[in-house]
Amino acid sequence: MDRRQVTWGLAAAAATAAVGPFGLSRARAAVSADLVAAAEKEGKVVWYTTMIVNQAVRPIADAFMKKYPKIKVEFTRAGSGDTALKIINEHQAGRMMGDVFDGTATFSSIMPAGAVQTYKAAESSAYPDELKDPDGYWTALNLYFLTAAYNTNLVKPDQVPKSYDDLLNPKWKGQMVWSTVPEPVAAPGFLGNMLLLKGDKGGMEYIDKLAAQKVTNMSSSQRTVLDRVIVGDFPLGLMVFNHHVDISKAKGAPIEWLHMEPLVSAASLVGLIKDGPNPNAGKLLIEYMLSEEGQKVLASTSYLPAHPKVPATIPTLLPTGPKPFKYTMMSPKIVDANLKTWIKLLNEKFG
Amino acid sequence: MEARLSVLTPSATVERKGISQTSLLALIIGVIIAVLVLPPAIILVVRSVAITSADATVGGFTLEHFARFIRNPELLHTLSNSLIFAVCSTIIGLLFGGSLAWLVERTNTRFKGLAYVTTIISMGTPYILYVSAWLFLLGRSGPFNDLYRQITGGFRPLFDPYSLGGMILIEGFLWSPLVFLLMSSTFRAANAEMEEAARMSGATVFRTIWTISIKMAKPSILALALFVFIRAIEAFEVPVLVGMPGKVNVLTTEVYQSIKETIPPDLGYASAYSVVLLAVVAVLLHFYGRLSRNAGRYSTVTGKGYRPRQFDLGGYRWIGDFLVLFNFCIVLLLPLLALLWLSLLPYMRAVSFAAIGNFSLHNYAVVLTSDYYRTLAMNTLTVGAVAATLGMILSFFVGWLSARRRPGGQILDQLATVPLVFPGVVMGVAFLMILLNVPLPIYGTIWALIIAYVVRYLPYGLRYTYTGVLQIHKELEEAAGASGATPLQALRRIIAPLLSPAIISGWLFIFLIATKELAVAVLLAGPSSQVVAVGMYDLWVNGQGGELAAFGLIWATIMALVASIFYFVAEKSGRGGLR
Repeated sequence: MDRRQVTWGLAAAAATAAVGPFGLSRARAAVSADLVAAAEKEGKVVWYTTMIVNQAVRPIADAFMKKYPKIKVEFTRAGSGDTALKIINEHQAGRMMGDVFDGTATFSSIMPAGAVQTYKAAESSAYPDELKDPDGYWTALNLYFLTAAYNTNLVKPDQVPKSYDDLLNPKWKGQMVWSTVPEPVAAPGFLGNMLLLKGDKGGMEYIDKLAAQKVTNMSSSQRTVLDRVIVGDFPLGLMVFNHHVDISKAKGAPIEWLHMEPLVSAASLVGLIKDGPNPNAGKLLIEYMLSEEGQKVLASTSYLPAHPKVPATIPTLLPTGPKPFKYTMMSPKIVDANLKTWIKLLNEKFG
Repeated sequence: MEARLSVLTPSATVERKGISQTSLLALIIGVIIAVLVLPPAIILVVRSVAITSADATVGGFTLEHFARFIRNPELLHTLSNSLIFAVCSTIIGLLFGGSLAWLVERTNTRFKGLAYVTTIISMGTPYILYVSAWLFLLGRSGPFNDLYRQITGGFRPLFDPYSLGGMILIEGFLWSPLVFLLMSSTFRAANAEMEEAARMSGATVFRTIWTISIKMAKPSILALALFVFIRAIEAFEVPVLVGMPGKVNVLTTEVYQSIKETIPPDLGYASAYSVVLLAVVAVLLHFYGRLSRNAGRYSTVTGKGYRPRQFDLGGYRWIGDFLVLFNFCIVLLLPLLALLWLSLLPYMRAVSFAAIGNFSLHNYAVVLTSDYYRTLAMNTLTVGAVAATLGMILSFFVGWLSARRRPGGQILDQLATVPLVFPGVVMGVAFLMILLNVPLPIYGTIWALIIAYVVRYLPYGLRYTYTGVLQIHKELEEAAGASGATPLQALRRIIAPLLSPAIISGWLFIFLIATKELAVAVLLAGPSSQVVAVGMYDLWVNGQGGELAAFGLIWATIMALVASIFYFVAEKSGRGGLR
């Protein structure tokens, strides 16, 4: 497992560069009139999302409803773990409420339960192979890069930690916070990153030392972790999304993210829930979110679009931007194989 | 003889017809209530001893769930957390609310209006708003810790609210308004002559308080203490918002986690846990019933119709003033200011002058224009209103049947009181299992919430109608019967109009608590049936404190209006307290 699996980012970057004379000419109708008619008949779509509501979900839902005024988007936001739980419970009870899911670990949790419906979105043809499942179980919706962030009022420039080993300095004992939700983009992924980076032995040594630093666990979203760093509860937050940091920084928050390499990366995978109440509206929402139009809405919120032709609003957030960085890609394969082990390790060492 | 018989005969037939009519009524109401109240208890008991297989089918008998409950290495820890949490928060709530009630009702302390304002606003405000405000205030970078750090110059805060201590403090604060309300009716009813006699015989202010005021109120204080203790054992909001992030688990969060944070949900274990909780609460309620029967032991008000005189605190009056102001600040002003602060800022920021330049009304604009918040508010108002209406209709009949000791009335009263033993989260688990198994399309709709709320709040509605009927003299119905009215006609034409203040109070009370209920709703609300408390919980967990604060303030304002109507109706109908 090479930590420099940069394929996804490269694909995204190559495509970003390719937006030029051809970018606008691809205005073919990916969505059939039949699908729209069937979706409008259903009248609504229920989206189980992991994105932050005011930052991304609401803008996307509003844009969708503007385009298809006859279809109401209802959404419920939770982390990948909770979202998967909801879908599995409904699936087992035979009472499906949701139509569309996304998230970095939702797919790998609900797939074994048989709760995913294959759907090869027409729009996914524009995506490189790494960003979609060959059988149509999922397509990447957006990309995430996770790292440490610090409160610029509390940490002086010369004190800023540069590497993972710097986090073991006694002065950070009890001063760090992270989210322990069961996702590759939270504490479990941090541990995974260390094991992939340093090997099993070196990784475990590092993890033991970090456990002695008494990192504060939060069972809520990475956004709340970042907020507690911004407000000054903790000087240092681990495993926060770099685009969240820049969104807050743009509003004047005293926060900065670190190029602590390798960062952790994962894609949020979107797919159709099996036996959902509004399958056609679900398909239409997926098509919309994957389309250039939908991805531009996503990009406008400073999230990192997965569509090869839609550029990121803040290029420095990407490893291929003006300030490149190394990262570990938590591909669906790696997540499927390791996430449970990492969660167990987290509970043992940090519980 | 002939003449007397002929006079008696018509009234006797009316009486017989009346009996069959009331029996039929008792039967119908009995069946409805049994269908609502019994299944939750039955399904919990059945599931707690049933084997649930991987494909979610249920069958076979096992004691494994209970065995796992007992073997759980964390059990003792969880249990002791629950006990410490409940005992200490009860003490804080009682000290805080009780002393305030005495000061406001019995002494010449100033600023009394503030205590009532605090209480009325707290009646309609979802707990989650208070909790998030206090978490901000007491937080590591909140004003208190900030002050401490500026004094010490270090980075480390004085205390972390995400701890057992923080939970106790916040729960104690949460309870103090209700304690105030309940205790103030006790103190209002006490005879001031004894305190005056003590003072005239030369006792000091503190000695008078200790030997007379507290002693006289002791039976009701004890009953109230047990009541608050039970509610603290059942509490959900503070354990889930403060305890869970701080890894302090109590009994209710264990149940919640085995449903919400386990794949697949461990329904057997949750049921076993719930059954144990039900048993504990049932035992506690039994003792509460005995205590509260004695609560009136020292009632000293006679029918003389006097108003107790105020107790002169003399030179200690400033202490009273200070306590009233302190309560107002802690329980109302500071949380409101914290919410206002958070709602005006684009991102969470510690309190400082520099931040004022960042103020914007963006959060309010989003809340007022967004479809999401409108839906939340409409769902919540609908659920609250429908649940309160259905609950009061049932309470009306049960209250009358049992207060008038009609056949079946006693059984109905007991049946309708059963839901009291259900902590909210347990009620949520029970209805979740029921609704997933009935072939009706209720799961995930607002009807799931309405049904659960009707059951949960039936005992409260019943208290209003039962005592209300007792206050209406039987003669009125007898006169109606003698004039040829059937019992149902008497109910409609005589009892219902006379009972309307009690019914309105009960309706508003159920409406107020139903609109802030979190424990039941968090398990039963689906994506199409989100309500305010659940929406606020999501906002908090997902890091949208600014919108939460803006929406919360607007919502609290609306609910404070409803609560003030409730307060004045309840005052007018002669029941200031919530009992």
